Amino acid sequence: MSFTETDHGSEGHGAHGHGAAVPGAENPGGEHETAFKRDQKERLMLWLLIGGDGLFLVLELFTWFYLRALNTSGLWNGAKCSKANPCTDGLGNPINGPIQKADPKHAIIIAACTVIAAGFVWIAESAARRDAGKRAVSTAAGVGFLFLLVALGWQIYQFQVLPFTTIDGAYASTYEFFMGSTLAHLILLGFIMLGLWIRASKGRYAGATWYRVRLIRFFAVWIAVSTVILVAVGALFY
Amino acid sequence: MTTAVAPPLLEDTQLGPKAGGFYRYQNIWTGLGFGIFLGFVAWLVSHATVQGSNWGTDMVVTCTMVAWVVGFNIGMGTFNAPIHWILGHDQTHEDELYAAGVGQGSSRYLKFCTDHKVVGTQYLVLVMVLFGVGGTLAMMIRTQLITPHSSFLDPQTYNAIVTIHGMVMIIATIIMVSGPFANFIMPIMIGAKDMAFPRLNAMSFWVVVSAVPCLLATFFLGGVNAGWTTYAPLSVQAPAAMDAFAMTIITFVVSVTVAGVNTIVTVVTMRAKGMTMGRLPIFTWGTVVGGALGLYAMPAFLAVMTMMITDRATGTSFFVPEVGGSQWLYENIFWIMGHPEVYVILLPPVAAVLEIASTFARKPVFGYKVAIAGFVAIAALSIMVWAHHMFTTGWAPNLAAPFMLTTELISIPTGIIFLCTIGTLWKGSIWTRLPMWFVYLFVWNFIIGGVTGIYLSDVPADQFFHGDMFVTAHFHYTLLGGAMIGATAAVCYWFPKVSGRMLNERVGKVAFWMIAIGIQVTYFGQFWEGFQGMARRIAYYNPHYETANQMSTAGAYLLMAGWLVFLYMMINGWRHGKIAPANPWHAKTLEWKVPTPVPLENFLVDPVVTSDPYTYGEGVPDGQEVPESAPAPEPELVPAGSAPGDQIDAGGAS
Repeated sequence: MSFTETDHGSEGHGAHGHGAAVPGAENPGGEHETAFKRDQKERLMLWLLIGGDGLFLVLELFTWFYLRALNTSGLWNGAKCSKANPCTDGLGNPINGPIQKADPKHAIIIAACTVIAAGFVWIAESAARRDAGKRAVSTAAGVGFLFLLVALGWQIYQFQVLPFTTIDGAYASTYEFFMGSTLAHLILLGFIMLGLWIRASKGRYAGATWYRVRLIRFFAVWIAVSTVILVAVGALFY
Repeated sequence: MTTAVAPPLLEDTQLGPKAGGFYRYQNIWTGLGFGIFLGFVAWLVSHATVQGSNWGTDMVVTCTMVAWVVGFNIGMGTFNAPIHWILGHDQTHEDELYAAGVGQGSSRYLKFCTDHKVVGTQYLVLVMVLFGVGGTLAMMIRTQLITPHSSFLDPQTYNAIVTIHGMVMIIATIIMVSGPFANFIMPIMIGAKDMAFPRLNAMSFWVVVSAVPCLLATFFLGGVNAGWTTYAPLSVQAPAAMDAFAMTIITFVVSVTVAGVNTIVTVVTMRAKGMTMGRLPIFTWGTVVGGALGLYAMPAFLAVMTMMITDRATGTSFFVPEVGGSQWLYENIFWIMGHPEVYVILLPPVAAVLEIASTFARKPVFGYKVAIAGFVAIAALSIMVWAHHMFTTGWAPNLAAPFMLTTELISIPTGIIFLCTIGTLWKGSIWTRLPMWFVYLFVWNFIIGGVTGIYLSDVPADQFFHGDMFVTAHFHYTLLGGAMIGATAAVCYWFPKVSGRMLNERVGKVAFWMIAIGIQVTYFGQFWEGFQGMARRIAYYNPHYETANQMSTAGAYLLMAGWLVFLYMMINGWRHGKIAPANPWHAKTLEWKVPTPVPLENFLVDPVVTSDPYTYGEGVPDGQEVPESAPAPEPELVPAGSAPGDQIDAGGAS
């Protein structure tokens, strides 16, 4: 392999702050890469992570439809009494009775709040892109964060009001798995949106760094989409 | 020729007393301390609140393990940067340099260090430790099997050891090349100054470190006696150790996912000018395809272990048929991960073997593009073969034939890559140094592992062999004889660049012959056991199998002794070996063009690539001797900053 060397050949390779600061970078003190290079790297990373998360979502749906189709011993949604919580006919067989379907109202509220939160991140991005000032960006980010907190709180509340518990058969197990997965995603998105709000308030997303808000928007939209899918499956395929 | 003034080395930068912030006070000891503290607090709280419930013990173990992992990583500094980011602070230039290990000497190897070479070295040491643990467990297994009714281990302990041996080795082999060499070597190979995300890189290492104590804790929590596949319902019924086992996997998945993403992004976005995808060294392709495949496989591992833990700790019924679940669900999701994972292990070492073969045969990689297509084809096919592990379970018999077909199809790209290796060596002027010995051994073992795999893909043959020692011998030939020997070749090849010193090849050849013979004796013994019908995972056996078992155990002792000699060679080489020149093998790829030891950010001046990676013998008129086609004398030691091939006038601009 032949090569020559140049002191300006591959700008943006700096990983530890070698060289002068590059205009347009969000962080003038630490990393010294062009905005384009950072955006390229971070976008690709995000798409790959979303791809992996998408596969996890597919496996959640696979689990739901697989167990629903098998309906082992009629216990997909008919395990009011289970082996873990014995309530038998005297011969050791569980007395089956359809468990009540989870009220879709709660899930729809959670999904709606998540979608609205993602929408406000989109508004924040557009404000940053227009260079509308830190107040516009931080307001949109802050409102989005509040909606996300509502979604998060409601998700926790939904665990309290479910008409079944984890032990009540395959439907109950999978439904709560969906809820747990949504909760974990909302917590992660919550940290990111809190960061967005705080950083926007400090004017970190003015002008050339709007692309970093776009990155958060990609993730927020993905979380909103995956939440809607889980809610739809949970509501429509009892 | 471009001329430029070489800038001063970054590691010579004088950092202020506050550089690094919290990182200054964090190292492995704070990690251990904080992890143990948080784990203890979680144990106290969960013990007080949920111990009395139906699944109390499982919940307590799970909470304790989660707290340990989080606490260890808080103590190490893994979360410093994300917390700073959320709070709106940024790391300064000096903080970045401190995190990269500037001014910390060897203590940076015990810290959260973002320099990819430090992370690569940390991985290398971790892999050796894991192989030490896994190898010791293997010797305990073989010692138990030396006689039909040995009292060395009781059956429960034996099964627990078999399980943990399997999982330790799986973890170690997944990271044995992608950890050390995709971190240390690959960025330099493509002309990058570091990985795309140095902090994520360090995170991937320390997260996997925090998983290891979880796995070893299983021995103190009743042991996991369900085999490494931990099939339901055995795993649902297992002691609390199973919770620690599942937490190990979940933690490991986080690490592998982050590392895989980092590898792909690095190669796609951090290549030097002129380093087109068609000019990437073949090793880089192997790590990228392996990383991408890991990204596909790991979510399945995460999903199945999460469901397993909730079945055990919260009473869900994913895998419990009595309450509406199905153990086939477990097997399907597990093997959707499980078979691609074999190729996550295999592809990077195979790519390293091709790289080494090219260097020592002084020829370009034979069928470079075909080999890349082979990697991609293997990755694509490997996600369509999982049910061949379930031929005998009764799941979907109508699908047996299609899965047999896809499994047999995968032998085609595998065979093509094998032919590329042979073609690279064919008629080459081979310089047989220590790495090449292991390449030869790889070729021998891999053909045996591959051919016996075709038998197992065949439904009727699998009905006979499934669950017996033939399968054990097959996958050990593939993963130990193939992948691990390929990784060993990689260690020998890149050791001079990593350590700055040469290995003692005389000792290395002693190790080589012990390992080579040990493998054949051990696993031919197991093939023999399998043909006789001996089942896997049994502590006592019929005396009919005794001779084959004694043969296998004798081979295992020889094999272990060989690895110990190899380990001695490495440690001795690291401490007392001859100082390595920058390019001892006269190789063409970029990692050999930088000085040894490699400076921070690798290149004093950014390289611009102007040709393919394997231009051996080019530019020589017909009829003349090709200077690099024959064994070349070792060059003199080259001072740091002026490696051979540098087209740079460091004395000043002209």
